[in-house]
Order: sequence, then structure tokens, then C-alpha cells
Amino acid sequence: MRDMLKVTNLAVYVDDVCLLEPISFRLREGEPLTILGQTGSGKSLLAQAIMGLLPDELRLVGQVEVLGNVLSLAERRALWGREMVMLPQEPWHALDPLMKGHDQVKEVYQLVQGDDKASAEHKTRLDLAHVGLTENGHKRPGQLSGGMAQRLAITAATAAGANLILADEPTKGLDVTRRDDIVRLLQARAEGGSLLTITHDVAIAHQLAGRLMVIKGGALVEEGDAQQILNQPKDDYTKALIAAEPKQWPKPRLAEVGNTLVLEADKLAIERGGRTLFKDISFSVHQDEVVGVVGDSGCGKSSLGDALLGLLPLQQGHLNRLSSASKPYQWLKLYQDPPSAFTSSVSLQQLLDDLVQLHHLDQSRIAPLMARLSLPEGILERNCLSVSGGELQRFAILRALLLDPVFLFADEPTSRLDPITAQEVTQLLVELARETGCAVLLVSHDPDLVSKTCDQVIRLS
Amino acid sequence: MTLRASQWAGLSLLIGLMLFSVLGITLSPYSISQQDLNAILVPPNADHWLGTDHFGRSMLSRMAHAIGLSFALGILCVVTSALLGTALGVTAVWAGKRVDQALAILVNILLALPGLVIVLLFAAIAPGSFWVLYIAISLVQWVEYFRVTRAITQGVIQSPARQSSNMMGFGTWYQFKRHIWPAIAPSVFTLAAFGGANAILTMASLGFVYVGIQPPLAELGLMTVELFPFYSEAPWLLAQPLVVIALMVFGFHLLAGKRA
Amino acid sequence: MKALLLKRLLQLITVVWGVGTLTFVLMRSLPGDMAYRIAASRYGQDNVNSDAAALVREELGLNQHPLEAYWHWLTDLLQFNLGNSMVSGLPVIESVQHMLGHSMLLAFAGLMVSILIAIPLGLLSAWRGNPLDSVLMGLSSAIRAMPVFVIGVLFVLLFALHLGWFPVAGYGTFAHLVLPAVTLALSLAAVSNRVVRDSAKQTFRAAFYQFSKVKGLSTWQTFQRHGVRNIAVPVVAFFGIQLVSMIEGIVMIESLFSWPGIGHGLAHAIFARDIPVIQGAALAMGVVFVLLNTLVDLLCLWIDPRGVEQ
Repeated sequence: MRDMLKVTNLAVYVDDVCLLEPISFRLREGEPLTILGQTGSGKSLLAQAIMGLLPDELRLVGQVEVLGNVLSLAERRALWGREMVMLPQEPWHALDPLMKGHDQVKEVYQLVQGDDKASAEHKTRLDLAHVGLTENGHKRPGQLSGGMAQRLAITAATAAGANLILADEPTKGLDVTRRDDIVRLLQARAEGGSLLTITHDVAIAHQLAGRLMVIKGGALVEEGDAQQILNQPKDDYTKALIAAEPKQWPKPRLAEVGNTLVLEADKLAIERGGRTLFKDISFSVHQDEVVGVVGDSGCGKSSLGDALLGLLPLQQGHLNRLSSASKPYQWLKLYQDPPSAFTSSVSLQQLLDDLVQLHHLDQSRIAPLMARLSLPEGILERNCLSVSGGELQRFAILRALLLDPVFLFADEPTSRLDPITAQEVTQLLVELARETGCAVLLVSHDPDLVSKTCDQVIRLS
Repeated sequence: MTLRASQWAGLSLLIGLMLFSVLGITLSPYSISQQDLNAILVPPNADHWLGTDHFGRSMLSRMAHAIGLSFALGILCVVTSALLGTALGVTAVWAGKRVDQALAILVNILLALPGLVIVLLFAAIAPGSFWVLYIAISLVQWVEYFRVTRAITQGVIQSPARQSSNMMGFGTWYQFKRHIWPAIAPSVFTLAAFGGANAILTMASLGFVYVGIQPPLAELGLMTVELFPFYSEAPWLLAQPLVVIALMVFGFHLLAGKRA
Repeated sequence: MKALLLKRLLQLITVVWGVGTLTFVLMRSLPGDMAYRIAASRYGQDNVNSDAAALVREELGLNQHPLEAYWHWLTDLLQFNLGNSMVSGLPVIESVQHMLGHSMLLAFAGLMVSILIAIPLGLLSAWRGNPLDSVLMGLSSAIRAMPVFVIGVLFVLLFALHLGWFPVAGYGTFAHLVLPAVTLALSLAAVSNRVVRDSAKQTFRAAFYQFSKVKGLSTWQTFQRHGVRNIAVPVVAFFGIQLVSMIEGIVMIESLFSWPGIGHGLAHAIFARDIPVIQGAALAMGVVFVLLNTLVDLLCLWIDPRGVEQ
């Protein structure tokens, strides 16, 4: 097996600050390598550094050897498309928004491979048919779904023959079912070459097999055969990463749900933009019950929650809020993207003060709740943009709990958080809701997460 | 709100010009129309610090008044159009579809003619009137605040942050104070700075084509035309209004910080 | 698309109505006996008598009820019956046609030169970065701070009066066109070069631009295939915004250089209170403005059809 890629002490600096700690590895033909670590650990710079795509203000040290030769930046650039290629994180952004998908593949055959028009056209058609995009080739990227866009991007990237593929979070934001397609496509495209994947998703590491490196805060903690590490992790961090996967979460303690009904939904239907998202959905929610909602993106999971809160009109059906003693402000929502759910114009303390003043709340309840949610004291002086996503989501829970909610709609509350934090936040949310007798509607794209936390699951398709 | 160095420079420039105007108006012994036929087109000297024009009038007094007039108009127009445009922009989003559509039609009418042409037509009705100029320019300028405020407010109204405050029971004023105003304030400030420059420019343009403020009043555009024939005998005179217009506009542009 | 054209059609109607109404108000608010004044301006001070005044009164409907007169005024307008100039007595429609031709020539020349300046400089700024970028941006800030008539005055002083390369004012030869067109072009380019630069910078930084090179396309191929069109989208949209500056610039420049266009005509008519010409000129400007805006809208749709398809 020849070395496709050999990296020696590669590191990235901005001025004197190290963004990516020195890393060394080799990528052999036919043996995929996966680099696993949390987002924000500098690993996203790795693929760019290998390609030679770092922004000017970043400094690169170390050596990159491609196919047995130490190559300079310019020499690596000459291999783009033909020998090596990097797949984008966000395919929607990586495709020209104004050009039809078909043409974005065809131009590679024409301009890079030097094919004439007819043969480029022919090859493009075959390629698109191969990835199931025949019907959608004439669309612009904005009209494609995330999975389709990623398939198109992979096809375009490898059209010029590159089989050394660097993929940086190639399945970011995709549903679980789409994720497996993309991984299989990547494996197929790397045939005869090799695949370097950078991800935070343990499931992808499983699926790709080959070799695995686990990175924490830019430094290597464990390296070896993927299956072996994932089955018998040695390092604590690796263990935590694996345990944070919803599939590995402990089986929930199925508390006996109270008999008090909070909400009854009868044959609901919701439309958005003239299209009926779903219909004939009936269920009821009890006090201190956690109800999960799952389904692929675009199926109306979030719309269902919004409708229950009265933020969206119902197309059909009937909704009965049974908790008659509750005030409107006790029906609340936790948002997917924590920073967007707060104004950055004032400090978090000010936001709490506003709430205490408005509803004449007992100030002394704040401190114990902060401790319970492990929110550090100093955090309140900052505004929402200068605290981490996990802290902010816990602060959101704090703010909601102060109002003694009877119903909380949590809209993918942890999908923007890294897996370990996501696990903590989800578990805290469920525990606190059960303690305070609040019903929770938990929307998630991850069926495992829902099955491990919820008493009742609503599936939308 | 913190200003950057270039914004401070712009602000200082504008304050400097204002000080010159106030001191000139209050301290100069000459009025703007007082003629001294023995001192025509004299260069700057101890009596007339900026020289005299073709009627022997003190350029210092005339410049001070002209600058004062420009600032007065600029500030009046900015305050009026900013208040009107921002208030209507927020209202258009909040008050529902009907109000929004009605305002959209009004804005479309105003946008159907270039601003200067609207101001020119108003100027034709009452030649030389400062107040008609003020009304016309404000009428043209509020539209920009309206459009920007409306667009940003639309985003804020949809935002999870505003929605969440609403669900928690916070009222309209709170939502404006915490969510809408912080989002629109920077843009309103930038528009106001450019609006000040534009108001001053429009008045000077009208003066320049002789349909704005009328003689013997001192106005920068008008002075440019009046002094143009003497460009070779007394170039320092023609330079004064030209330089001051450029400085005022530049000051406002610097203060704006961003680009429109 | 339909909504867009409908909106512009509505604007066209409001331009005609708005200009008509404003000039009607103007007509009615003239001080003194209008009929006498108008007759005097038309037939000369010596030839005015009560018969002539009565004729004018009849013709302009000055003895009618205001609402009736307003109705007549608007129906005349809709039949393109713009009347005669109060100063020259010539039909307004003819002189407006004449002036419009001159203005179009100036506008077209100015716009072309501004594009020739703004696009290469904007692209260069974005491509080379500092220090060139800072120099060009500083320069355009300085020009932007000068009102268009100040630039014009400086050009006249330098190139016409001092160096004597070009005529001070007037029209007829190519040399007459140079200074007005360049003045207009500079004032437009000082703003639009920034738009080109910002758009180009954003495109060059975009993930899709990088991805095109990663696919194997060369820098030049990437620019041709993915640069030009994406850069053009905001730039063309900006031309629509700049139409306002262009028309305002033309009013000032024509007055400065005595260029016999519509802006000069309008300013002159306002000064002379020649109401039919004010109406004709303002109307022509408004209609051309709305038509050009429509053209820019369609151009934007052609370059970036995303809005329509979805």
C-alpha cells in the first residue's frame, strides 16, 4: 500500500497563537482515516492546510507529502481536482448559486479534462444518473435539498479524477438517512485512492472504519484501528465522546406519567407555503411527560410545536389546552440556535432583572437554579454573544423555569451543541422538567436521542 | 455607542465648522448685506479676515451665515425625516398588512421621481423659501429611513429573541426598546449622517442653479455662482464656499463611518 | 415579474398625476393677474391688452372653478397636450423632445465612462488588496465628498479656463461633451467602484469560488465561469439606485455647462416660472426615470433569475 498523503508536524498559527497543534499522520491507499474531535478544536483548519487553502493571515508550518513527494503550496494547487480534492462543509455555499447543477459538473469535464461538448454532456448525464440527480440537474443549488447538494458537490469535485479526498464534516446538517448515503458515496469515490474525513460524529467514524485519530483541543489523544478504538476506548475523552452519542445513552427511567392532561390535539393539519406538511395527527400530553417528535427535515416537526404554542395557525383539527389555571407566559419555547433567542443589546443579568420585574418573581430562586444548571456566577455580566452555546441554552432553561412553565416546546435544543454538551443539556432539561411538573415537547432529527429521553414519540413523515 | 477614530475626526470637523459659524455670526461687526464700496474684492486682511466680495461685503460674516443656514437645514431635515421614517417603518411592520400596503403605495409615489426633481418642483412654488426647502427635502429623505427600518424590523419581528420576549409576556414598548431599537439604531445613525450631507448638498445645488435661497442672503451654492465670475481676480473668494461644502459633506461622510 | 411590471406601471401613472398636480398648484399660486403676466411674457409687454389677457384666460381655463380647471388640466396631460412655453411660445412637446435628446447623449456618455472607470478599478482593488485598495478607496472618498457641481467648477477652472483644452460651455462638438461627461462619470464612478469592489471581494472570498478552483478550474476560468455573473448581481442592482444620482447630476451639470438638456431646461423654467415647460420637463424626467428603473429590474432578473423561479 502506497502512502497517498503524509503529514509531518503540521501546525497552524495566527501571529503566535497556535490554532492547530502539530499533527502527523499518513494516509494509505485504500485505508480511510478519520479524525474525530469536537467542533472548534482547530481541526477544520487541517484540510485547508493540506490543500493549501488557508487564509493569508494564517501561518502554516510542517511538511505535506502527496504521493511520495514533498510539495510546496503551488505544487499542491496544481493537483487540485485531478489528484486531490477537498469537499465542502456546506454544499449550498460551495456551489455557484446562479449556475445550474448540471453545468457545474459539466464544466469540469470541459475545462479540466478537455473533453468536447458532446462527451462532457454525456459524462455529466451518467454521473448525475449515478447519484440519482437526473431529475434535478437543471436546478440551481438553492432549489436542492442538503443531501442533493452534497451529492452534486461530491460529483463535481471528483469529476476531474481526484481520488484523494479530504472531507471536512461532510454530513453536517443532514438527516441520519441521508448521512449514510453520503458516506457510501464518498467511499465509492475514493476507490483506488483514499479518504481523509474530519468529523465530530462517532457514527461516521464507525461506518468508515479504517484508521481513527481522536483529537481534543487540537492535540492527539488516541490513534489506531477505528473498530478497536470505538469498541475499547482507552482515553477518557474518547470514552466521553462515545458515551455522548444518543445511541449509547443510558436507558431512561420511565417515570410514571401523571394523569393530569395538559394538552389534547385532535386531527391536526398544518400547511406552510401552500403545502400541507402533515394531517390527522392526534395525541395528548400529560403533566411532567416528555413527548418526542421525530422526522426528516422539512416534515413539519418545528411547525407542530409552534402550532401548539399558537405561533402558527392550524389548517385543520382542534387543539385543547386543558391546564386552565396557567397563564399565557407559562407556555414557552426553547430555540435551536441559542444566540438568536436573546437580544445581545444588554447583559444576561439585565434580561433576568427585566423578567423578575415584569412578573414580580422571587429573586432568591435564581441562585439555586443557577447552581443546579451549573451556570458560573460571572456569566450574568456578559451578553449572549460572549458565552458558549451550551451555557446559553442552560441560561434559556433557567429563564423559562423561573416562570414555572406548564408546557415547554424544545425545538432541537442541542443540535448546534457539541455531543458532550448536548448530552448534558438534554439530560438537565428532562430532569428539571420532571421535577417541576412541566410537560416538554422535544423535537429532534435524531431518533436515538428521542427514544432515550421521551415517554411518548410522535413520528412525522 | 463608541465612535471610531475617523468618526471622531468627522465629528470634530463638523463641530469646528459650527463653532466658526456661531462665533462669526455673533462676533463679526459686519452684517451679511453691509456693503463697503471702498473695499471690493479685497484679499484677507486685518479688517476682513476672509476678504470681501464684489459688493464689498464681509466674506467672514457671509460664510458664517451660510454655514449656519446649511447646518440648520441639515439638522432640521435629519431630525424630521429620521423620526418620521423610523416611526412609520416600525409601524408598517407592526400595524399589519393594511397599513403596510398603504405606506408602500405612498413610498412608491415618492420614489417615482428623483429627489432633486421633487425638491425643484417645490422650490418653484415658493422661490427662496427656507421652509419649503425644509419640507421638500424631509419629504424626500424620510423614505430611506422608512425602507431600511422596515426591512430590519421585519427581521427582528420574526426573530426567536423577539418571539421569546413576547411569549414571556413583555409588552410592545419593551420589545421595541430591547429588540427593535438596538437592531435599527446603527443604520438610522448612518442614514442620518448621510442625510445631513445630502440635505446640505441639495440646498447648495438649488442655490447653484439659482432657484434656492435668494440674494442677498448668503448660501453656499448661491455664493459659488455669484463669485464664479471673479475666479481669476479673486480665486480665494470662490475657493471659500467650494472648500466649505466639501468639508461639510466630508465631515458627515466620516461621521457615518460606514458606507450607505 | 408581473408584480414588478405592475408596480412600475403604477409609478408611471403616479408620476404623471403627481407632476400634473404639482404644476397645477404652481399655476394657481402665481401672484398677480396670471392672465396678464402670461400674456405679457408671451406677446411682449407692449402688446398686452385685455383682449390678449382674456384669450389667455380662456385658453388656460383660469376663469373656471378650480376643480373643473384641475380636471381639464389632467385630461390635457393625458392627451400629451402640454401647451406652449410662456416664454418662447413654442410647443412644449417639441422642446422637451429636443432637450431629452441632448440629455440622453450626456447621460449615456457619462455612464459609459463611469463604467469604464469603476469596473476595472473596483476589480483591481478587490484583487490586489492593500495598499492599492486603500489609495483608491481614499481617492473615491475624497471625490464623493465633493458635490457634482464642485467637481464641474474645478474642471472648468482647470481644463477650460486655465489650460484652454476644452470649451467652457455650450454644445455641438465632441469637445463640448468631454467635460460634462467626465464630470458626471467621475461623480458616479466614485461610488460605483466601491460597489464593484465590495461585490468582487465577497465573490472572491465565497466558498463556491474557492470550490471551483478545488474542482480543478484555473483562476481565470473560475473568474469567467463563477466570478463575472455573481459579481454583476449587486452591481447591476446598484445601477438602479444610481439612476437617482445620475439624473440629479445631470440637472447640475447641464446648468453649469449650459448643456441644452432637460435638467438645464427644468432649472431655467423654474427660474423663469415657465409652468408648461416645468411640467413638460419634470414629466419627461419622471417617465424616463421609471422606464430606466424598469429596464434595470429586468436586467437584474435576467442575471439572477432565482427570485422568479422559486
